[in-house]
Amino acid sequence: MLIEGLMNRGNGALLEQVINFASQRHKLMLDNIANVDTPGYRQKDLSVEHFNSMLQDRIDNRRRTGQASFEDIDMKTENPLAGILFHDRNNRSMEQLATDLAKNAMMHNLAIELLRKQFQQMEMALREKVV
Amino acid sequence: MFDSLDISASALLAQRTRMDTIAGNIANMNTTRNARGEAIPYRRRFAIFATGRPDAPNKAGVSVSKIQIDQGPFRKEYQPTHPDHDKDGYVSYPNIDLAVEYVNALEASRAYEANVTAMEVSKAMMNASLRLLA
Repeated sequence: MLIEGLMNRGNGALLEQVINFASQRHKLMLDNIANVDTPGYRQKDLSVEHFNSMLQDRIDNRRRTGQASFEDIDMKTENPLAGILFHDRNNRSMEQLATDLAKNAMMHNLAIELLRKQFQQMEMALREKVV
Repeated sequence: MFDSLDISASALLAQRTRMDTIAGNIANMNTTRNARGEAIPYRRRFAIFATGRPDAPNKAGVSVSKIQIDQGPFRKEYQPTHPDHDKDGYVSYPNIDLAVEYVNALEASRAYEANVTAMEVSKAMMNASLRLLA
């Protein structure tokens, strides 16, 4: 009960969704980089705006009702029109890809680090001493 | 999470195969005979990439779907003393342009590097996740 409360009331569930989203998006970006020379390939991405608005919506909902449900967040795939369309019908943009990959990885690591801190605090409370 | 490395690995394999065909083209730039010794010049080969992997159909990645043989015209050079010349004294050399091969090799090598970097990022992310356990 206590552990469940700690997991679902705090930022744990939220961070879990962020990590999940970041790793799914990371996979799509790897696919984009892998297919940088494939004719006819269109870049794929997950909509960050969509995810952020859904997450915000769930947080607001939790503040109002006290109920936490982050499970039903869906991830929308989109085809960004980032790069110009080359003659091989591939709209690659290496700079865009590299930037997005780095940003996404940082986002992922930030969420992991926050989650780690939270676990450490929990452990500290359980041991009743400062480590 | 762990299969994200496989996506980049498939691209490394594809780019290396492409590099092999380019190396084969450059090596055979002046080859006027085939393996059986007949006077048929070497033809340029190039790798065709396709999305997805045949070994794992519903996974992301890239693969070489086939090695295409370039049917373009041969390069003609006037060499009447060469044993493989035609009736006008011209020798057919492979349809390989060294500049094109160099540019393709550079592109393949850069794409390979990009995928290696992406793999490093994946590894860093995985390490961060695994540190949650410790």
